[in-house]
Amino acid sequence: VDGTTPPTVPHPSEMSPGRRRRNRWVAVAALLVSVVVLAALFGFGLSRDPTAIRSPLLGKAAPTFELRTLDGGQTVRLPDLRGQVVVVNFWASWCADCRVEHGALAAAWDRYRDQGVVLLGVPFQDRSSASMAYVDTYGGDWPQLTDPGERTALAYGVYGVPETFVIGPDGRVAAKRVGAVSYEWVTDQVERLLPKDGR
Amino acid sequence: VSGRRFSRGAAGLAAVLVVAGVALAVVAARGGDPQTLQERVRSVASSLRCPVCQNLSVADSPSALAGQMRDTIATELEAGKSSGQIRQEFAAAYGEWILLAPPKRGLDLAVWLLPIALLLGGAVLVVLAVRRWTIGSAPDHPADPSVLDPADRRMLDRAIATYPGDGE
Repeated sequence: VDGTTPPTVPHPSEMSPGRRRRNRWVAVAALLVSVVVLAALFGFGLSRDPTAIRSPLLGKAAPTFELRTLDGGQTVRLPDLRGQVVVVNFWASWCADCRVEHGALAAAWDRYRDQGVVLLGVPFQDRSSASMAYVDTYGGDWPQLTDPGERTALAYGVYGVPETFVIGPDGRVAAKRVGAVSYEWVTDQVERLLPKDGR
Repeated sequence: VSGRRFSRGAAGLAAVLVVAGVALAVVAARGGDPQTLQERVRSVASSLRCPVCQNLSVADSPSALAGQMRDTIATELEAGKSSGQIRQEFAAAYGEWILLAPPKRGLDLAVWLLPIALLLGGAVLVVLAVRRWTIGSAPDHPADPSVLDPADRRMLDRAIATYPGDGE
């Protein structure tokens, strides 16, 4: 121990009482600020629905696909539908909310099928036989497409069914709906995208 | 212990910590390149969040969707795509939310830098506190009566002189 070297930092007992008090206030203030910042962050995180994430596809070119219909009779290529409004509905026969929205989709299909609007159903994690039985039961003659390996659903960032994407005539994703769609929602989206003079 | 001696010790400790940290980072970054397709799939899948789970990776989730995602990853790896490309594709469809490790840029950089900053700040606080305590408890003067200040000397002499017993 080098006893001749004086300590360079003053011991607390050697500090003036004023300086000691000020240091304590600085420490308390720093602690309070960090606690408040952390609490605000937690509060912000907890106040948000972790599943409600805006699709990064909105405004972007819709992921392309070329899929066969459920009955195997036809192949639908998205690029062939350029210039039309395309509504892509991911659904499943086991999905309760899909039954809820089925009527709305059928009504929208009836209203727009002759106006350059295409509705496409894509069963998600479903057996083909179950999907076909569902269509037989609930009706609806819009094209239903098989999506082998769920590749198209994954490209669209589908979490679960039902999810509905509306693609504009420019081929860009204009809207996305998670959960059952209403007739009003579909018509609102389609009306916004339909060419105004074409009706 | 004098301040200089102590800060030399602290510098040594800091150097050891830095070396250990760098070594850890290097090992973590290199961490055995996966070789088989299965290992590569697992490596990509474990960096992606399972969309239908709460805080499970695609590699760990038993859900059907995660299974489809693993199949997709395998197909794309076989087609010659890099892990980074595949991750980017999933991020383009699902958002960056799907990446378990946020990208090291923009606001997301904070989650990478904040822990390091907090660790360094804590280390500085510990060093300051320990320094204060050790200086306070260390004897300022060696136990040599010749360096007693005159007042203490007089007091000691008086005490010895008046001590009862074998004082004669």
